[in-house]
Amino acid sequence: MGRYIKIHEDIKVPVAKNIFYALRVIWKAEKALPISYVLSRLTDNVFELFIQNILFLKVLLSVFDSGGDFKAYFKDLILFFIVAAVCKISSWALAYVRQVAAKKTLKSLNNMVFEKAASLDVSCYENPEFYDKYQRANLVLTSSYFDLICSDIADIVSGIIALILVIVTVASVNPVYLLFLLPTVFVFLVETFKSKAVYRRDLKMTGNNRTKAYIQRTVFLKDFSKDMRTSNIFAVMMKRFKAAIDANVEILGSYGWKLFLYSVFSTALSEFIPIVGTYAYAGYQFAKKSSMTVSGFSVVVSSINTVREATLRVAEGFDDMTQMALYFQNLRDFFEYESKIVSGTKKVGNFESLEFRNVSFRYPSASKNSVNNVSFKLNKGEKLAVVGVNGAGKSTLVKLILRFYDADEGEILLNGVNVKEYDLESLRTSFATVFQDYRNFAVSVFENVICRECSDEDKKRAEEALKKAGVWEKIRELPSGGDTLLTREFDRDGAGLSGGENQKVSAARLFASNFEVAILDEPSSALDPIAEYKMYENLIKETENKTVIYISHRLSSAVLSDRIIVLEGGRIIETGSHSELMKSGGRYSEMFALQASGYNREGDDNE
Amino acid sequence: MSKKKKTDKHHSMFSNIMFFLALMFKLSPGLVIGDILNGIIQMLPTRLISVLGIKYIVDVVAEGADYGRIFNAVLIIAAVLIGGRLLTLIYREFYWNKEKERLYYRLNSTLYEKAHSLDLENYDNPDFYNNFILTIESSSENIQGLLGLVQRYVGSLASLIAVASVILAIDPICLGIIAATVIVFLPISKKIGQLQMGRRIENTKYHRRSDYFQRIFYLQDYAKEVRMNNIRPLLIDRYNDAADDVIDNQRKYWKKIASLYAVQQIGVQALGFMFIMPLYLGYCVLVKHTLSAGDFVASFNGAYSIAMSMNFLTIWANAIFSERAKMIEKYREFLSSDYKIKDGEKTAENGEPKTIEIKNMSFTYPGNDKPTLKNINITVKPYEKIALVGYNGAGKTTLTNLLLRLYDVTEGEILIDGENIKDFTVQSHRDRFAAVYQDFQTFACSIGENVALDTDTDKEKIEEALRHSGFSKKLDKGTDTELLREFDDDGVMLSGGESQKVAIARAFYKKCPYIILDEPSANLDPIAEYNLNKAMLEAADSKTVIFISHRLSTTVVADKIYVMENGEIIESGSHDELMKQNGTYAKMFALQAEKYKAQ
Repeated sequence: MGRYIKIHEDIKVPVAKNIFYALRVIWKAEKALPISYVLSRLTDNVFELFIQNILFLKVLLSVFDSGGDFKAYFKDLILFFIVAAVCKISSWALAYVRQVAAKKTLKSLNNMVFEKAASLDVSCYENPEFYDKYQRANLVLTSSYFDLICSDIADIVSGIIALILVIVTVASVNPVYLLFLLPTVFVFLVETFKSKAVYRRDLKMTGNNRTKAYIQRTVFLKDFSKDMRTSNIFAVMMKRFKAAIDANVEILGSYGWKLFLYSVFSTALSEFIPIVGTYAYAGYQFAKKSSMTVSGFSVVVSSINTVREATLRVAEGFDDMTQMALYFQNLRDFFEYESKIVSGTKKVGNFESLEFRNVSFRYPSASKNSVNNVSFKLNKGEKLAVVGVNGAGKSTLVKLILRFYDADEGEILLNGVNVKEYDLESLRTSFATVFQDYRNFAVSVFENVICRECSDEDKKRAEEALKKAGVWEKIRELPSGGDTLLTREFDRDGAGLSGGENQKVSAARLFASNFEVAILDEPSSALDPIAEYKMYENLIKETENKTVIYISHRLSSAVLSDRIIVLEGGRIIETGSHSELMKSGGRYSEMFALQASGYNREGDDNE
Repeated sequence: MSKKKKTDKHHSMFSNIMFFLALMFKLSPGLVIGDILNGIIQMLPTRLISVLGIKYIVDVVAEGADYGRIFNAVLIIAAVLIGGRLLTLIYREFYWNKEKERLYYRLNSTLYEKAHSLDLENYDNPDFYNNFILTIESSSENIQGLLGLVQRYVGSLASLIAVASVILAIDPICLGIIAATVIVFLPISKKIGQLQMGRRIENTKYHRRSDYFQRIFYLQDYAKEVRMNNIRPLLIDRYNDAADDVIDNQRKYWKKIASLYAVQQIGVQALGFMFIMPLYLGYCVLVKHTLSAGDFVASFNGAYSIAMSMNFLTIWANAIFSERAKMIEKYREFLSSDYKIKDGEKTAENGEPKTIEIKNMSFTYPGNDKPTLKNINITVKPYEKIALVGYNGAGKTTLTNLLLRLYDVTEGEILIDGENIKDFTVQSHRDRFAAVYQDFQTFACSIGENVALDTDTDKEKIEEALRHSGFSKKLDKGTDTELLREFDDDGVMLSGGESQKVAIARAFYKKCPYIILDEPSANLDPIAEYNLNKAMLEAADSKTVIFISHRLSTTVVADKIYVMENGEIIESGSHDELMKQNGTYAKMFALQAEKYKAQ
């Protein structure tokens, strides 16, 4: 129907199309929800707006008009009582179905989202625009917009039906009254304009509201609590808060007149014209023509309220639905997003080699390449260290191997085959990884290590791995040992581990898996010296005969590797073994000397 | 703290509502009075007209249709309606909208100030912390919710009284029937309210679980981890378990709720208003002829109006008020929560460094049984550089927290220049320190403000501090460049290392005698680390520095090193002394240095 709402200056969202899309998705998730919604609102609205307010009064009063037979009147009453009871019973039975269906819908929508999310490129999460959209799409679920849109549609359908019934009844009394009632219908138009203005106003305030939300977070998040207490940054935040509020008040003020006029207009149509018109005309009919009956008059007067009520419900339904359309557009974009990283079909076999051939890569929206013409080959059993300063492109290499991103130029070959030809899951699971920004989950410690529901055998394996990671001592002391839930997110007895302990649990994942190649991206950043040393020791033991790519800016670990690649500005500037690089006296030896200088004071006798 | 709260008696619902109303009235009297008046203006005229207006006209007609009288009545009705509406609209669009935002500001400023003065330990107490977040997040909802409720309450009450008086005048028995019907079914409504509350509370419990798993799929933090191992099916299973619990709970409660609703509405609406009352009225009109048709219509419309008012006033208002009151209870708890870290009498001087003495100090975190620090004795002379080293969890960071009075010692004392730090005001004491934490934060404001951490900024000093910390990134707007994209889409996102340099620059900028550095170089590469150490020593020449580090290469330069284990100091001395002692420090150092000497 061509209604559009603007999100930004240039993006328009087709409302009708999105609403149909929303219905299709909800239908697929849970048919009972839209059906029970429409039926229950239909029962409620037709009963309340038509049967109770109009029909009932009309029938009873016409008994008075026609001379008054108490028996006939009594019969009518019994009939209405039965109708009312039936309406009420079915209305609440439907409400029950609806309430349960809402939660079922949430569950199945979530499962649809999980499936899609798992297939998204990691780059999506790092792209603010997409990520923003994704989060807004999620509001459909977290804020129950799927439920609201069903409610809107049900309101619109039932409101229109009730409206038609009322209008027909009024027309049967005297069609002239429709003249006063019909302007009410145009309220719908005025309200649309008004809500567009409100939407524009609110859009202007989004920036300020974001500020408000941020300030609130800085006040209550623990992360900020120490800095807030030991400095005067709180004053800076409060200044910003005040500025955001002042800006909002000004925006609200600038829309005062506009909204006032819309409201006046809307009131004139929905209240003033119908009420004054009907009363005046009814009075005229009573007095001059005596053609009006008490029942007819009462019906007409009641219908003023009813028509207004029904129209407002329909208008609000449309207005709400229009806003929902925006969120469903996001959901749709999310579901219809096609991953750029397309899975191949080949399965990864036993590891032979990994080779970079002239690989270059630039992050979307970055101005410089993060990886520049990188070539190297890693053979089975080799241990490779990648070193370099922050931002040299070390972690990006890992992302390219695992196809979180695809290289722009050149190719990456695993066992001589381009990584793009492998099945994604097979490719990724063929590497054991520990990331700098590792994460643990609120499932049991064992499950965190094994990554599935654990059998007794799994638990033994997990225990071994935790021992190797050097954290079993701590885990054993937890209330339920390795079965304790990690994090106190939703279990008071959950384990609250320190950063180092968490990192060890995450490293245990590597020890537990039967890997051939391991990628270690700064796995010891949160560990103290002794723990770090023990971790290395175990890693070396575990990775004997295995292939390892080790990424670190702590050069002490590079000493252990067969070969070292030194990255700077995305390029390989030096490569060789530790002793070769030290001899060549380049960047590596310079960095090493600097880092080692602190340790060499007492070590003069050594060299 | 949480235990204390549980034994505390809660305030009554009425007391809580009045508390919040009084608070709002204090912050914005206009809004509270305006909303109450508006409630009456919005409801009373329409409800009265639907009873009195119709009766009057029907009766005039019955008496013999005088057009002039009808016309006058219509004019009066129109004037009342239009006048009321205009008042409401003027109030709403020109005052209410803006004033609400201002009230939000005033209320939240109060809350933020309070939050700011809370002890840090409150953040570790989950009961208190959840409450605290809930309070702050619900403030806008509380304002709007409570005002809307009061508005409706007053409006309903006024129209109930007015309409009931009209019907009382027409026929007291009729009013009796209406009142009896509503009252008989009130207990059911009450029961429904309780069930709804129970359902919501239980649902929240299950939702916390399902929401967590939902978050994992959309949070950026987990994206890589979820893709690299096969934990996905497990997570989805866990989500589905939680979702099924929600569905079962919904079934359990709604079965009862829906049945009760059906009984209540059949009783009140179908039986009472659509059967018994019209039967009585019909009998009066048709058989006894004691009532007119106008009376009939008026009573009939009045019945609904009364039922709506009563239902709202007794059940809904009660249910919503009591829910609101619970939120407000949390508000009050929060606003009246006491803090343990109290100001002393004296104002600390921010001049030259003095001797810091830590004497027999022990500390146990609230809720823990084991002390985190045991019998610590440290003396720091002016201008000394002190290093704290040790395992994770040895208590190093806790020690700095105590120095800053983020927590207060459990036993023993901390003296600066011979005076207990508790004798000073908290603010003036903390002002003496510049602290850079392991988990430092950058704030979404200008880089200058991020360094100064204050509203007054000295541009030159900031630039100098940034130079000292080795921050080299070119910025378009210099120190006015906004960091992060929270407010400004052109905000600059810094890498971990660069943010750390900004954090370190804070210590250089702040004019104070003592600096605390908690692993300031964790995110830096070797070259940046080296430069930083050098700069730090140069700049901190005239200050006392206490720093914590994992990397022992940085501790070599310290005047004195304290090695901590399990909350105790096990070794102390200069690097050379400790190496000679050949204890834990020497062992740790050897481990780390080993690889650098391998060649």
